[in-house]
Amino acid sequence: MSAPTHRFTPRSGARRLREAVVVALFRAATYAVLLAGGGVFADILYKGSRTVFQAEAPFINTTFLFSSPESLHVFEWEGRRREMGDREFRAFREREPGAADVRAESFVYSAGGIWPCIAGTLLLVAGAMSLALAVGVSSAVYLSEYARDGRFIRFVRLAILNLAGVPSIVFGLFGFGMFVIFFGWNVSLIAGWFTLAFMVLPVVITASEEALKAVPQGLRAAALALGATRWQTIRTAVLPYALPGILTSSILGIARVAGETAPIMFTAAYVVRDRLPWEVERAVDFLFQGVMALPYHIYVVSSKIPQNEYTERVQYGTAFVFLLLVALVAAASILLRNRLRARLRW
Amino acid sequence: MSATGPRPTLFVRRRLRFLGLTPDDAIRAFFGGNAVVAVVVLALITYFLVREGAGFFGQNRRNLEVYRLAGLEFVDHLRAQEEAHTALTRRLSELRLKAFARLSAGTDGAEAAERALAVFDAYAERFGAAIDPLRALGSELAEVATGIKTKFMVNEDRKEERRQLIAEGKAGEAARVGVVPVDFAAEARPLLAARERHREVNRVLATELLALQAAPPAPPVPELRDLLERFGAEVRSYVAELPAIERRLETWDQAKPVAAGEALRAFLFGRQWLTASFWQDWYGLLPLLTGSLLVAGVALTLAVPLGVGAAIYVNQFASVREQRVVKPAIEFISAFPSVVLGFFGIAVLGEVLRQVSQLPWLAWVPGFPFSERLNVLTAGCLLALIAVPTIFTLAEDALNNVPRALPEASLALGASRLQTTLRIVFPAALSGIISAVLLGLGRVIGETMVVLLCAGNRIAIPDFTQGLGVMVEPVHTMTGIIAQEMGEVVRGSIHYRALFMVGLVLFLLSLAINFLAQRILRRYRLAPS
Repeated sequence: MSAPTHRFTPRSGARRLREAVVVALFRAATYAVLLAGGGVFADILYKGSRTVFQAEAPFINTTFLFSSPESLHVFEWEGRRREMGDREFRAFREREPGAADVRAESFVYSAGGIWPCIAGTLLLVAGAMSLALAVGVSSAVYLSEYARDGRFIRFVRLAILNLAGVPSIVFGLFGFGMFVIFFGWNVSLIAGWFTLAFMVLPVVITASEEALKAVPQGLRAAALALGATRWQTIRTAVLPYALPGILTSSILGIARVAGETAPIMFTAAYVVRDRLPWEVERAVDFLFQGVMALPYHIYVVSSKIPQNEYTERVQYGTAFVFLLLVALVAAASILLRNRLRARLRW
Repeated sequence: MSATGPRPTLFVRRRLRFLGLTPDDAIRAFFGGNAVVAVVVLALITYFLVREGAGFFGQNRRNLEVYRLAGLEFVDHLRAQEEAHTALTRRLSELRLKAFARLSAGTDGAEAAERALAVFDAYAERFGAAIDPLRALGSELAEVATGIKTKFMVNEDRKEERRQLIAEGKAGEAARVGVVPVDFAAEARPLLAARERHREVNRVLATELLALQAAPPAPPVPELRDLLERFGAEVRSYVAELPAIERRLETWDQAKPVAAGEALRAFLFGRQWLTASFWQDWYGLLPLLTGSLLVAGVALTLAVPLGVGAAIYVNQFASVREQRVVKPAIEFISAFPSVVLGFFGIAVLGEVLRQVSQLPWLAWVPGFPFSERLNVLTAGCLLALIAVPTIFTLAEDALNNVPRALPEASLALGASRLQTTLRIVFPAALSGIISAVLLGLGRVIGETMVVLLCAGNRIAIPDFTQGLGVMVEPVHTMTGIIAQEMGEVVRGSIHYRALFMVGLVLFLLSLAINFLAQRILRRYRLAPS
């Protein structure tokens, strides 16, 4: 009789090679993903930096960052190709007598800057995150500190999970139907706040609950044993220790809020608006005005105007600023969280 | 010891009560109230989608009713006949193209090819011209039908104007707005009368086509004999279909009511999404749904191997240091705003893919080479980049949750690392990985900006007859259509409500996917050891 063969006999060279190949394939998949992501990031960073940075002091293109969008006019003048924004072009035509009937090619939004979009995005994100944090953290406190597992709580958790899967455009439709039309807020900052806040709510709740759960039971037990009420326990022994975790994880929510375009398309974003958000007559108007926003601006400049060397600058520049903002926030969140996880071992 | 009453407990405090609630109860209620916000929001989403969308079915029913009453349906039967003939003519020109390619490749060159094809061209021209009488009749009747519809629309507008005037209390002015109800039966009489002429036209057409197919030209290239014969068979079956169309016109009932279910069916299974058309608007979901699914299919085909492969590698084979770099990096990719990816697709990826598709040694790939920059493939590649982090993170979690005892036992029995991974750990984590893929699917189907910018936005059911080549066709998607058209529609119009219905379908689809993912996760979870 031959020796009993079992499944895991020592491997021949060919087999070992095959294993190495399969593992190499898995590894290749990993690095392909990183390469693709890095490629997109690098392309936009490289081409965008040419718009945002410049060779002479102050090295940053302040016009692009801190002025409003204008149309770009391109024309031949005295044998040279000139490019001018709206205002400059008007002044030029008044100054130069022969320039009144010069034929210029125009590209909307391709000159000037994106300051109103930056401001609008910051306002949208700040408002939406405040709302989402207030509701989300309270919700997580209830789920982790008060609730006992039961049918109702399971139902709530199911709702949170499902809410996380709802497509962003559906939130846009919902916000439009409820805030813009039913409440009559029109296309406004506040409609955008609520829409975005509801969208990011599941992220905040999940992150906060994780942070609350990470606080050891011993702290709660000790506080309760000392005679504190539930609320006193939460306020003094739980929340302070969970707060860093809540905040860092929620920053990832900020990245998501800032990155979404679909929910604000019909609820808060204007294609173009001359005035900055704080230039309002009454304080109430501040809430009920539409704003320009970076993601929507990218959509507009990449789909509504042609692609050429003149428009490319504003397209890549806007994408650069936006990507950098979001990426910085996300990177900060990921790094902080990983550090916190390493530090907070109870 | 003198006992004077019960001893006071140490921690009794006087409690304020408001509405029967202690402050602690109130605080608890406050937090509990916030916890149900998620439930409330879900309910509100459902409510508002239904509220804005539900009117669609009534309006679409009316829309279909007018389509029938005004006789557009009648004319469309004729048009179908005309289009079938056009398809046959197109067959002939395809034949010619093939023959020309063969002939001009020969020694005599293009000119000789043209000469050789002269007889064939005369034949094709005669075949094409045979439909002219029918086309003339069709456009004449189309004008009648549009006339009826316009009359009806004008009347509806007047009615609306009158309603508004009455609402404003201007009864006098309202009376001056003349509304004459359209007598559809009388108006459609010319249509019905034309049936006689149609039969006549068809008789001529049938004899002409039969004569033509009986005496086909000698095939310019012998290889085309089969094709030409097949063409003859198609012509015969076309002619055989003609009486059926006549019967359809004969039995066409203008007054037949449109059933309520028909409006729903026309939405869910409608093959056309056509808006702001001078002829007839159609709101059919199928082109959008197939577009969404096609893009998602391409995205997942790319994302599943990459995402799951990366998860297996990072979880099972990577060193700790590698893990510490790769995991945050992939998580970082998930923060890329989708609109930026969409822009990248327009600016770079579309063109790159097009160039790649034109490389001669890649011609074997189905669909290559293609000339449309924006298509399913472009959108699918970018969506894959969006789906990978989701799939990776969740699949890695699932692998992580496999009890240590399993791989350890396997390794102790002498299995190799790879055997352990593929036969022990992977199957144990399979439910988690499947649910990760499903959640990735949910993300991809719900994604808006990438498909809006990169999928090509052509509203038609893609041509599946070309097999896998379908993945380089431009499509439109459910999310894309909402984003694109919502800004331009009139509030309360049928088009507006149709978009909300699409949103509702999307919402239900995402709920179903989510539900399924959780179901799978829960049912097949290993008992924690």
